[in-house]
Amino acid sequence: MLVVENLVVRYGPITAVRGVSIEVGAGETVALLGPNGAGKTSIVSAVIGLVPSTGRVSFDGRDVSNLSPEERVRAAMTVVPEGRRVFANLTVAENLRLGGFVRRRERDQDGERDRYLAMFPVLRERLDQLAGTLSGGEQQMLAIARAMMSKPRLLILDEPSLGLAPRIVARIFEHIVELKKSGITIVLVEQNMMQALAVADRAYVLSTGTIRHAGPAAELRADPRLADLAIGGH
Amino acid sequence: MAPAQSPAAPMPADRSMPPLLRSILGGLVVAVPVVVIGVLILWLAPPYQVRIAFAGYVNLVIVVGLQIFMGNANIGNFGHSAFVGVGAYFVAILATPLAAKKLSIPNAPFGLSQVVLDPIVAAVVALGIVGVLALLTGFIISRLSGIAASIVTLSLLIISHGVFINYTDLFKGAQAFFGIPVVIGLPTAIAVAVAAIVVARVFRDSQDGVQLRASADDVLAARAFGVDVVKLRFKAWVLSALVCGAAGIMYAYFMGAVIARAFFFQQVFLTLAMLILGGMRTVSGAVVGCAILSIGLEAIRSLESGATIMGVKLPEMLGLSGLSLGAVIVLGMAFRPNGLMGRLELDELAAGWLRRLRRS
Amino acid sequence: MDYAIQQIVNALAFGSEYALLALGLALVFSIMGLVNFAHGEIIAVAGYSVFFAVALGLQSVLGAVTIAIVMGIVTALVFERVAFRPVRYAPTTTGLLTAFGVSIVVQNMLTLFVSPKARAVPVLGPLNQTFFIGPYAVSSLQLLELAVTIVAIVALVLFLNRSLLGLAIRAAARDFSTVRLMGVKANRVIATGFALSGFLAGVVSVFILARRGSVEPDFGSAPVIKAFVACVLGGFGSLAGAAVGGMVLGFLDVAILVALPQKFGGLRDALTYFLVGVVLFWRPQGLLGRTVELGDKEV
Ligand SMILES: Nc1ncnc2c1ncn2[C@@H]1O[C@H](COP(=O)(O)OP(=O)(O)OP(=O)(O)O)[C@@H](O)[C@H]1O
Ligand SMILES: [Mg+2]
Repeated sequence: MLVVENLVVRYGPITAVRGVSIEVGAGETVALLGPNGAGKTSIVSAVIGLVPSTGRVSFDGRDVSNLSPEERVRAAMTVVPEGRRVFANLTVAENLRLGGFVRRRERDQDGERDRYLAMFPVLRERLDQLAGTLSGGEQQMLAIARAMMSKPRLLILDEPSLGLAPRIVARIFEHIVELKKSGITIVLVEQNMMQALAVADRAYVLSTGTIRHAGPAAELRADPRLADLAIGGH
Repeated sequence: MAPAQSPAAPMPADRSMPPLLRSILGGLVVAVPVVVIGVLILWLAPPYQVRIAFAGYVNLVIVVGLQIFMGNANIGNFGHSAFVGVGAYFVAILATPLAAKKLSIPNAPFGLSQVVLDPIVAAVVALGIVGVLALLTGFIISRLSGIAASIVTLSLLIISHGVFINYTDLFKGAQAFFGIPVVIGLPTAIAVAVAAIVVARVFRDSQDGVQLRASADDVLAARAFGVDVVKLRFKAWVLSALVCGAAGIMYAYFMGAVIARAFFFQQVFLTLAMLILGGMRTVSGAVVGCAILSIGLEAIRSLESGATIMGVKLPEMLGLSGLSLGAVIVLGMAFRPNGLMGRLELDELAAGWLRRLRRS
Repeated sequence: MDYAIQQIVNALAFGSEYALLALGLALVFSIMGLVNFAHGEIIAVAGYSVFFAVALGLQSVLGAVTIAIVMGIVTALVFERVAFRPVRYAPTTTGLLTAFGVSIVVQNMLTLFVSPKARAVPVLGPLNQTFFIGPYAVSSLQLLELAVTIVAIVALVLFLNRSLLGLAIRAAARDFSTVRLMGVKANRVIATGFALSGFLAGVVSVFILARRGSVEPDFGSAPVIKAFVACVLGGFGSLAGAAVGGMVLGFLDVAILVALPQKFGGLRDALTYFLVGVVLFWRPQGLLGRTVELGDKEV
C-alpha cells in the first residue's frame, strides 16, 4: 500500500535520511524503530510531504512524490505528528472538526466522531475544553482521534508514547491494537522497541539515517543485536 | 568542513592572533571599500557630489550603529534617528556662534543662548547627552522583547520628533537651525565611518556580542542558561545610540544646519532598508546595504529630475526613486530573505575563498 | 456633561476606526507572523479606485462603497501572491521590510502616475451628515463607523469561531504544518486571511474618504502606524486585543486632545506614544496578550 524507494532527506549540510526503502502492505502494521536522531521523524515528514526529499513515495500504486501534504491527506494518508501537536487554542470538539476537514462535504461527520468518542471516552467528557489544557495522554488520544476523523486508509503514528507514563503508554498501545483490528494500515514509529514490536507485524530498525535490520516483529524481538541499538549505540 | 571556531579568523594564517586584534583587523578589511570609494570621490568628484557622498557616509554610520543593536539583539529598531537628532541638535545648540543664536534661539533655557563651546567640546558634551538618554531609554527597552520593544523604539522616535518640533525655545521648531560652524569635511566622515565599523565589529565578536546573538533566538532558554539578556541588550543599545549620535554630530558639522524633519520616518525607513537588505546579522551587511542603496538611489534621482540621455530629454518623474527603492527591497527580500550578506563578514568570506583556492 | 458625551462619541468613532484597522493587521499577523505595514496601501488603492470610478462617471454611494471593498480584497490578494508569499517562512524583519517595500512602491506609483497632490473624491459626502439627537450634534459617519465596527467584529468572531475555514485559520495561526496534516490547503487559508484583511481595509477606506473627501498617496499609511500601535497595545496577534487596543487608543487620543492645553497641542502624538510606552513597560505582552513561559503547553 505504501512504497518508499531510496528516500533521501537533507537539511542543508546534514543528511538525515540516506536512501531508505520501505514497503507496507495493506492491513499491515509496520514499526519503524531507532534511537534519537535516527531519522524517523524525517522519514515520516517526507512521506507526507512536509519536508523536501528525493526518492519515490507511492501510495496505493500511485506516485505521490510530487503532491502537497494536503493532497496526500486527501488521498487517505494521515500522520499523528510527534509531540501530538493538538491545536491548543481550539477546543477538543473543534480539533475533531478540523480533523474531518477533507470530508467536510460528506454527511456522516457525526457518526465518525461518535465512533472515536466511544473509543476514547475521556474526550467525550472534555469536548468543550481547550485542547492545550488536556493532559499529555489525553492529548495523544485526541491527536489519534483527530487523525482518524479523515477516514484514512494509512495511519502513521510518530512516537505516540513520547513523554507518557508507562500505564498510559500501555493504554495507547491497546487502542492501536484496536485500530489495527479495524483493518487500517498502520506505520508505528517508536523508540520504545519491545512494546512496538509486540503490536507490529513487521519492523524496520534504523540508525543514523539508514536501515540496519528489517524483518518480522517476532524474529526481531529475539535478536540480541537490537538490545545494543535500543540503548542508542550505532 | 571547517571547524566551528574558524569563521572568526579574518586571514587564513592568523589563527594565533589575539581575538581583539582579529576583530579589529576584520573590521578594517570590511572598511577598505568604504575608504577606497571615499578617496575616489575626494579625488574625482565635483563639490556638489562630495556633499551627496557626505550624506551617504552619515547614513553609513547610522546603519552601522543600527546594526549594533538590531543585528545582535534581533529586535526591530525604529528609534535610532532620535539619537541622530539629539546629537545633531545639541552640537547646534552648543557650538553655534552667538550672533546666529540670537536669531534662532534667543529664549533658550539655562542661559544656553549665551554659551558657545569649542566644536570638539560641544561634540563631547552632545555625545554625553546622547549617552544619558540612551541609558534612560535602554533601561526600559532592554527589558522588553520582540514587537513590544520595537513599538517602544517607535514611541521614542515620535516623542523625540514631537519635542524637537514643539520645544521651539531650544530646538527652533519645525524650521531649520542655521549657523552651525562647518568644521569637518569628507575625510573626517570617512574616518568616523571606519571607526564605527571597527567598533561594531569588535562588539559583534566580543563575548557579549556572541552571547547576545545566541540568546536572541530564544530568550527564555538563554535565561535558563544564566545569560543576562537584559544586560547584554542594554549594552548594545547604549553603544548603538552613541554611534548614531556621532552620525548626527557629523551631519550638523558638515551641513551647518539641522532640521527636525531629517531625523524622522524617512531616515528611519531608508537606514532600516539598507541594513536589512544588506543583511543585519553582519557589519558587512550594513556596509554593503548602505553602499548599494546610496549609489543606486543617487543614480535614479538624477533620472527623476528629468535627465538627458543620449540627447533625449526625459520628463521629470517624481516618485521614480521611491518606486525603485521599494522594488529593490521587495525583490531583494524575495530572493535573499536574510539579506545579501547572510551569516559571514566580508573578510570571513574572503578567508574561506582563499582557503579553498589554496586547497585546490 | 453635554461636552463629555460629545467627546465620548468622538472617542468611540476614532476608536472604531483604529479597531477596524488594527483587526486587519492582527488577522494577517496571527496567520503568518507578518507585520503588514502595506495595509495602508490597500486602503489607498481602494480609495484611488473610487477616485478613478468617479472620474469615469460613477455617482452612486453604494457603487463607490462596493468598489472600495472589492478593490481592497483584490489588492490584498495581489500583495499576498506577489510580495508576501516568497517571504512566508522568512524572519519577521524580512516580512516587515517587504511590507515597507510594497508600501513605498504603491505610494510612489500613485505619485508618479496620478499626482503627488490630494485629489477630490466627493462621492461619499452623503455618508457624512450632521444631525441632532436631542441637544447632541451627531455625525452620521461617526454612528456608521461605530455600527460597522461592531458588526465587523461580531461577524469576524462568528466566522473564526464557527466556520470550518475559520477554525482552520485559527489553527494555522498556531501551527501551520499540522494544519496541513488535516488536509487544509495552506495557501488558501492564508489567502482567506488576506482577503478578510483587505475587506476591512476597504471599509476603512470608505470611512476615511467620506470624512476627508479626497485621496492622496499617503492616504492609508499614517493611520496604519497608529493601528499597529493599537495592536501591540492590545496584545499582538490577538483579535480581541486589536479591537480593545484600537478603542483604548481612540479614547487616549480624545482624552489628550481635551486635557492638553492648546499651547502643547503639538505634543499630542508624543504624549500618546509616551503612554503607550508606559503601558508596554507595565504589560509587555499587551493588555489582552498572555506571557509565554518556558515549557508552555501552548507553544
Ligand atoms: N529541520 C531540521 N533542520 C536541520 N536538521 C534537522 C531538522 N530536523 C531534523 N534534523 C536532523 O536530522 C536528524 C534526524 O532527525 P529526526 O527528527 O528525523 O530523528 P528521529 O529519529 O525522529 O529522532 P527522535 O527519536 O529524537 O524523534 C537529526 O540529526 C536532526 O538533528
Ligand atoms: Mg522523531
